[in-house]
Amino acid sequence: MRQTILENDLSKVVELAKQGKRLDGRAFDEMRDFTIELGKCENAEGSARIMLGQTELIAGIKMGVDKPYPDSPDEGAISVGAELIPLAHSEYESGPPSFDEIEVARVVDRGIRESKSIDFAKLCIKEGEAVWVAFMDFYPMNADGNLFDAGAIAGLAAFMSAKVPKLNDKNKIIKHEYEGKLELKRMPLLTSFVKVGGKIMVDATYVEEKAAEARFSVSTTEDGYMAAMQKGMGGSFSVDEINYMIDKAFVIGAETRKKLLKQMKQ
Amino acid sequence: MTEEKIPDYKKDKKRVDGRKMDELRPISIKVGVLPNADGSAYLEWGQNKVYAAVHGPREALPKHTQNPYKAVVKVNYRMTTFSVPERKQPRPNRRDMEISKVLGEALDKVIFTEQFPNTEISVYVEVIDSNAGSRVACLTAASCALANAGIPMRDLVAATGIGKAFGELIVDLDKNEEDAPDAVDIPFGIMPNSGEIVLLQMDGLLTKEEWDKLVPMGMKACADVYAVQKKALQEKFSLSEVSEKNVEAVIEAKPKQDKEAKAKTDAKTEKKDSKAKKVRK
Amino acid sequence: MKRVVIPGEMVSDQRKRLGGNVFVSNGKIYSKVLGISDESDEKASVIPLEGKYFPQAEDVVIGVVSRVVFAGYGVNINSFTESFIPKSAMREDLRIGDLVSSKISYVNELREAELGFPRKMFGGDVIEVTPVRTPRLIGKNGSMLELLKQGTGCDIVVGKNGRVWARNGNIDLLRKVVMFINDNSYKSNLTNSVEAFFKAEGIQINIAPKGEKKVAEESEVLDAGSEESEVLGGAESEELN
Repeated sequence: MRQTILENDLSKVVELAKQGKRLDGRAFDEMRDFTIELGKCENAEGSARIMLGQTELIAGIKMGVDKPYPDSPDEGAISVGAELIPLAHSEYESGPPSFDEIEVARVVDRGIRESKSIDFAKLCIKEGEAVWVAFMDFYPMNADGNLFDAGAIAGLAAFMSAKVPKLNDKNKIIKHEYEGKLELKRMPLLTSFVKVGGKIMVDATYVEEKAAEARFSVSTTEDGYMAAMQKGMGGSFSVDEINYMIDKAFVIGAETRKKLLKQMKQ
Repeated sequence: MTEEKIPDYKKDKKRVDGRKMDELRPISIKVGVLPNADGSAYLEWGQNKVYAAVHGPREALPKHTQNPYKAVVKVNYRMTTFSVPERKQPRPNRRDMEISKVLGEALDKVIFTEQFPNTEISVYVEVIDSNAGSRVACLTAASCALANAGIPMRDLVAATGIGKAFGELIVDLDKNEEDAPDAVDIPFGIMPNSGEIVLLQMDGLLTKEEWDKLVPMGMKACADVYAVQKKALQEKFSLSEVSEKNVEAVIEAKPKQDKEAKAKTDAKTEKKDSKAKKVRK
Repeated sequence: MKRVVIPGEMVSDQRKRLGGNVFVSNGKIYSKVLGISDESDEKASVIPLEGKYFPQAEDVVIGVVSRVVFAGYGVNINSFTESFIPKSAMREDLRIGDLVSSKISYVNELREAELGFPRKMFGGDVIEVTPVRTPRLIGKNGSMLELLKQGTGCDIVVGKNGRVWARNGNIDLLRKVVMFINDNSYKSNLTNSVEAFFKAEGIQINIAPKGEKKVAEESEVLDAGSEESEVLGGAESEELN
C-alpha cells in the first residue's frame, strides 16, 4: 500500500525523537532486521538481494577483462555503480544520474575500495596487458530508507560470493567455468546515521530521512579501521556527535557482520 | 564444453532441457511485493527474473504529455547490468526503448484508459536475470501488477515466445534455442479471453505454413501462462468466514521490535558502549 | 455464491442489470477489476479489492496538503489527480502535510474533485487503508464505524478515500482493528467477529439504530464542519454482509 508523508508523521518523528523514541519502536542504535539471499542472478558472477526492513535492494557483480591503468600495470580494479530506479519509489525519475544516485554509489564504493579488502594485485592477469575489473551495481526495488547500508551489505555479500571466471589462453572468458572466488581480506561495512530533532539514530526509514537535518556514514572493518566517511544533507554535527557515531558504527558494524556471515553460511 | 547444445530429435521428441515442444519453463508469480508501488509483481520464468511496478493513474507530467481523452500508458523496460552474460551498459539502449514501446502498446488496448483522462499509468519493469523471453516475462508480470493496482482492464495480457529451433516448432525458446542457426523467435502476447493479439514481433525466416501451425501452439501456451497469472492474483484472497478468534490473534500479536527487542538492546547498549571505546584505533 | 474474479473474467452470461466495475461484450458480462462478485445478486457487479479512490460528489474525504502556491493548496486525496483549494476557502493558512477534511461538492469529467467546506484537522492520527475497501469500515448504516467508536472510545472520521482519522481513546487498538478489517474486508461475518472481540475484552457495546439524535451528538465532539461519513447506495460502494 502506498504511504503518503503526512506532516503529522514528520513532526511526529521529530517529537518522538526528542522523547527518545522512533515510529517503529526501535532504539536509536538499533538496525532493522535484514535477510540476505545470495546468487539469485545466475548471469552475474556474484549477486545478493537484501531486505532491510521494507528496503529491498539487489547488488550484482560482473567480472570483465580490461587493460590496466598505465600507472598501475599490475593491478585490477573495482567499479561500483547504483541506479535509483523509479520502480522503487515514485520520487525517483528516469533520466540522467541524480546527485543522490551518484553519492550513494560513490560512498559505497569508497567504503569497500579504501578498506583495501580486495587485493588488486591478485586481480592481475598479465602485467601491462590484462587485469580483472569487478563491476558491482546495485538497485533498490523498494526504497524505504538507508540505501547506503543496504547497498554496502548486499554489495559486500556479492563481492564475497563472487566467482572468478576461467580464461582461455587468449585471456577471453570461458562461459560457465570458474576458478576460485574473489577472496576479500576484510569485511568493510557502512553504518549510516541521521540527526532528527537533535538526536542521532541509525538506519533511517524513508520517513525518518525526510524528517532529518543531516546524515553521516562511516565504513568500519573488523580489525578496527575506518575506511570511509561521508557527511550528507545540510545540517551539521558536533565533534562529539561524530565520535559517538564512529564508536557506534564499530559496534553495529560488528553485529551486522556477524548476522551477515551467519546468513551467508546457510 | 561446446557453446551450443543440440537436441537429438531423431532419438526422442525432447528439447535439450527435457521439455516437450509445447511445454513452458516453470513460471512463478507473486503480487503485491513492493509496498511503494500502487501495484506490483515479482515473476520468475525459467532463469528470467523480473520485477514489475505500477505507479498510477496519476497526473501526467510534463503537462504536454497529457491526453484529455484518456490515460497515457508508459512502460519503462530496463535490465540491470548483471542480468545478462556480457555486462550491460547502465543506461537504456535502443533495444530497451523499442521493447518499452511495444509493451506499452500491448497494454494500452487492454486498460480502460478512457476512464482516466489527463493521467499517466507508468509501468516499470526491471529484469535482474535473463535467459531469452525477458520481454514476454515482463509483459506477463506487468499485467498482474496492473490488476494488483486495481486498474480496470478488459482482460489480462498473457505472453510467451513461440518459434522454431533445430528444425522443430516450439514455444518458449530458451537462449540455447534462440542462438540456433535456424532460430525464429516470435514474442506473442494475447488477451486470453478473446484471443486478440496485442504483442507480435518476429526475428527469423518462417513459412506461412509454419506460422499457421504456431498460432494454436501460442494460444495454448498463453492459456497456460494465464492460469499462473490468475492463481497468483486470486491466492491472496480466501473467501473463508472470519471468527472472533481471528480478530484476537491479530490484535494480541506483539510486533517483533516491541517488547523483547527493546529489553535486549537496552542491556546490550550498556555492555557495548564500554567495549566500543577500546575497539577504535 | 461469492468468488474472486480477475479483470476480463466472466461474471454472468445472463441478462442482468449492470452494477459497478463490469462491462458487456458479446452479450456477456465481465469484470473490469480484481474483486468479488456474487452470482446470486440480481445485479451484476464486482466489488473491487484494490485501487485508488474514485471521487464521488457528497463523499467525505481526508486530504493531505502536498503543494503550496500563491493562489492556494494542492491536496492529495489518494485519487488520480490532486484537488485544489483556493486560499480564500480556508480560514487558516495551511502547510505541506496538514490534514483537511471536506465533502466533495463536484466531480468534473476529468475526475477532478472540488472540495467543499474544507476544514483543517487538528492533531489526531491517520490510519491509511486501501481506498476501495473503505466502505467496509463504515458498514451497513454505519454499523461498523459505530462499533469501532464504542470499542475503542476514539473520535473517528472515516474518509471515503482510504484515510481514517482518530483522536482520543485507544488509538493503538483502533489501528490494529482497522488493519484487520482492511485485510479481511471481503470475508463474511466480519462485523459480528469484531463485535464479539470487543465484548470479550469487556467493552460495552450498544449498537442503537441510527437516528437524527446520534448524528447531532457526534458533531459536537468532532471539529465543527467535519461530518461523519455515510454509506452511500450505488454501484461503486456496495457493502458485504
